[in-house]
Amino acid sequence: MAAPVGMRKVSGKLEFALDVPFPSSREASIALQSLSPDREPRKGGISKELTVSGSTLSVRWMADEARILRVSVGSFMDHLSLVLETMEMFGPPVPQ
Amino acid sequence: MTVVIGFEGSANKIGIGIIRDGVVLSNPRRTYITPPGQGFLPSETARHHRAVILTVLQEALEQAALTPADIDCVAYTKGPGMGAPLVTVALVARTVAQLWGRPLVGVNHCIGHVEMGRLITRAHNPTVLYVSGGNTQVIAYSERRYRIFGETIDIAVGNCLDRFARVIKISNDPSPGYNIEQMAKRGRQYVELPYTVKGMDVSFSGILSYIEEAANKMLASAQCTAEDLCFSLQETLFSMLVEITERAMAHCGSQEVLIVGGVGCNLRLQEMMGVMCEERGAKLFATDERFCIDNGAMIAQAGWEMFRSGQTTALPDSWITQRSEFTSAGLLLSGSTS
Repeated sequence: MAAPVGMRKVSGKLEFALDVPFPSSREASIALQSLSPDREPRKGGISKELTVSGSTLSVRWMADEARILRVSVGSFMDHLSLVLETMEMFGPPVPQ
Repeated sequence: MTVVIGFEGSANKIGIGIIRDGVVLSNPRRTYITPPGQGFLPSETARHHRAVILTVLQEALEQAALTPADIDCVAYTKGPGMGAPLVTVALVARTVAQLWGRPLVGVNHCIGHVEMGRLITRAHNPTVLYVSGGNTQVIAYSERRYRIFGETIDIAVGNCLDRFARVIKISNDPSPGYNIEQMAKRGRQYVELPYTVKGMDVSFSGILSYIEEAANKMLASAQCTAEDLCFSLQETLFSMLVEITERAMAHCGSQEVLIVGGVGCNLRLQEMMGVMCEERGAKLFATDERFCIDNGAMIAQAGWEMFRSGQTTALPDSWITQRSEFTSAGLLLSGSTS
């Protein structure tokens, strides 16, 4: 399951990072492509960056306020769990 | 043969349908029903869709007797609609498209209604009245694209009906509009309401405010019944819709009317529109609740048209949008509409 890398305060900004391990790099990249397209609902105050390295999906948030960060991380976790459940029920991915 | 699966979840219905070359193979749906007096809010609606979407997907495949390998393309509602429910549905559509190695197509919800109506009724080139909880538009296909001839300048007709239902605490099960329709049949007295057609457009918010106040006063003093108000509201709203539809028909010389959207399954609206059509020697096309109310097959059908004309949506462009981009979407479809 997802492991928080940690939360710290850098130059007045709150930072939060999360590493999510997947069975393979293919699945990690599917999750990345499913979770990336939608922008954050609010303008400004927060940024989120998703990357994949090997079979790990990494997410990094930078936010001005803890409240905004909490909402964004919470909704990301909901979305992630839906993607994982979809993969479990309708996967594994067909060979490329 | 081309098999397309369509995902719809822009409002309080979550539906997944599978279409093979114009044949609906499956079209399961669930509705998020709120208690009387309450509307549906984005986050609760998204939670409802989240809880049932994978079950509905399994049902869609089972009822169609297909496996994922039989699917050629995955269509989903890109918008317009409520943000959180749209995202929930898009997440699953994106994920299965990648798992199954199939292209994704983002569909405009309004185009889905129009294309489904055309498929089911075989209407050739109709003037379309699109009426639902979120939309009220008179649309015609003219010079190779969908054009809006008239629309509401404030709230949708279905929103006006739903909110009136909340005021007098009518049940939302199966839908507030259905229950208003049944009560209206027992209405005996017409309560005069404002009639607000503005050229090709209509306005409903003033009627809603008026009837809200009238309901409180007149029901308390027993001057009329709730049934009378349901009847009066329907007669007024639907007369306005018939008027602007007729005006658009006269403008484009059209001899066909197609009613789509959730309010379109109201039989009184169909009856009133039918009278107008008969007088003009025109033909009325309408569908029942399976296809009028939001469903997955309508997204599959519009997706089928887009996919067959070579249009797909790249994953980075598959973001959802709450706002309508109807005219540009119409342009997208123009090449595929016969």
